[in-house]
Amino acid sequence: MIKIENLHAYYGAVEALKGVNIDIPSEKITCLIGANGAGKTTLLKSISGMIHHTGSIRVDDTEISQRSPTKIAAMGIIHVPEGRHIFPGLTVRENLEVGTIAWHGFFGRKPYDAELEEVYALFPRLWERKDQLGWSLSGGEQQMLAIGRAMMARPKVLLLDEPSMGLAPIVVSELFDKIKEINQKGHTILLVEQNARLALKMSDHAYVLEHGEIAFSGDAESVRRDPRTVRAYLGKFAGKHTA
Amino acid sequence: MNFNVFVALTVNGLAMGVIYALLAMGLILLIRAVGVMNFAQGDLLMLGAYITCWLTVDLELPFWLMVLVALLCFAVVGLIFMFSVYWPLRNASYPAATVIATMGASMVLKELVTLLWGSLPRSMPSLVRTEDGSAAVLQIGSINLQWQYVLTILVGIVIMALVFFLFEKMYVGKMMQAAAQDAYAASMLGIPTIATIAVTYIVVVIMVSVGGYMIAPIFMVSTTLGSLQLRAFAGVVIGGFGNIKGAIIGSLLVGLIESFSTLQFSSYKDVTVFMVLIIFLLVRPQGIFGERIADKA
Repeated sequence: MIKIENLHAYYGAVEALKGVNIDIPSEKITCLIGANGAGKTTLLKSISGMIHHTGSIRVDDTEISQRSPTKIAAMGIIHVPEGRHIFPGLTVRENLEVGTIAWHGFFGRKPYDAELEEVYALFPRLWERKDQLGWSLSGGEQQMLAIGRAMMARPKVLLLDEPSMGLAPIVVSELFDKIKEINQKGHTILLVEQNARLALKMSDHAYVLEHGEIAFSGDAESVRRDPRTVRAYLGKFAGKHTA
Repeated sequence: MNFNVFVALTVNGLAMGVIYALLAMGLILLIRAVGVMNFAQGDLLMLGAYITCWLTVDLELPFWLMVLVALLCFAVVGLIFMFSVYWPLRNASYPAATVIATMGASMVLKELVTLLWGSLPRSMPSLVRTEDGSAAVLQIGSINLQWQYVLTILVGIVIMALVFFLFEKMYVGKMMQAAAQDAYAASMLGIPTIATIAVTYIVVVIMVSVGGYMIAPIFMVSTTLGSLQLRAFAGVVIGGFGNIKGAIIGSLLVGLIESFSTLQFSSYKDVTVFMVLIIFLLVRPQGIFGERIADKA
């Protein structure tokens, strides 16, 4: 689905990505784990066209690395940013409507009732809150809204950046069930997470990013058992809990 | 004060208030969309008055053609204004650069109209005229009202309603609100933020320019029209900064205060307006409707 080769990107004067190669297979969940500042978010921003980068990013053999965010979103590659970034002064419903811009023209009006229904079915909480303003939602609801908004864009690939950030564990597990459900509908997912245990449990493939380079990768199960992962990301006794 | 005088002062006050409201609403739309306080807002109104005066008096275009050409001119002015005063400076390391640029634009606009149309104030005929060309008067019972004031109120209300409709009811308006609230997330979702900003600038310039057209027959067309912006500022502060409803009500209040303060001494009307502003700043600095800077456009 997405093939990234020799990707270099800078964060200010710092080289955040130093030649990264990643394959994101179609209709699977691929996760990217790594410490703060390893370059995870920079990688997602490179794919969605939000920062300048060099190297090759191909989607089904179409080179997208020099395209604008507008064109990349129109291809169905939707980035759900870290910190959710919902629109605080728009209602839940309006927030969802904004998601349709990826395939909807700037002017005019095409119907998007089917998409709305799908999102409300996935997150019934959003239906209950549909006339509330974005800022009044709880953290978990805001994350649902951010993902729901991306679902309105008819996504082929969802780039999820730290969806669990700042949420209570019970909300996180509910949310990750939904992400799994979205994946089972046929959407490809690239998941960036600091919560490595959780991310590895639900993913098919995993990449470990360290200091702007892929340290190692493989299918999620083997990365989870790799002693390097256990030492650096899962903690000393992690094996006991996750075995 | 008898009833006739009361009605006349109210209508005059509302007419001026509507003009201030157009300026104030435009100020807030720009602050929302690009975070820039536009100090050339009054001068854009002045430019609108000059352009319509040129089309009507010099070129003698028929009314509907004049409206069409004028709207086109306003849209072009909006785009030029955006791409010269805002766009090149948007990523400047000194964030106040975009605000200071509008102060520069204010001077440039004043000098430009002086260069093009001379420094003498020009006069503009009223929209509704009697046969000898003087301003027509609307007579209701024993009350005499100038048509121009009544029309100004009506046109102002229609424009504000259209802008409200654009932002609240139309698809593109929601995209513009979204881009104004979080440009980062908006461009990530695929909203072309350059287009939403351009539409905002065009809408704002059209709003204030039409205000300039309506007010041109009441005052003379001259560079001093730019100073109307000060009253719009007062309206924005009295209404509550960042709040569109507040800005409109605050501006109408400023117009009414100004109008009624001419009852005794007309030379003190500015003093009265700014005294009220100072009282507001002392007693209720957040304005009538102000709580926090509202996110709703």
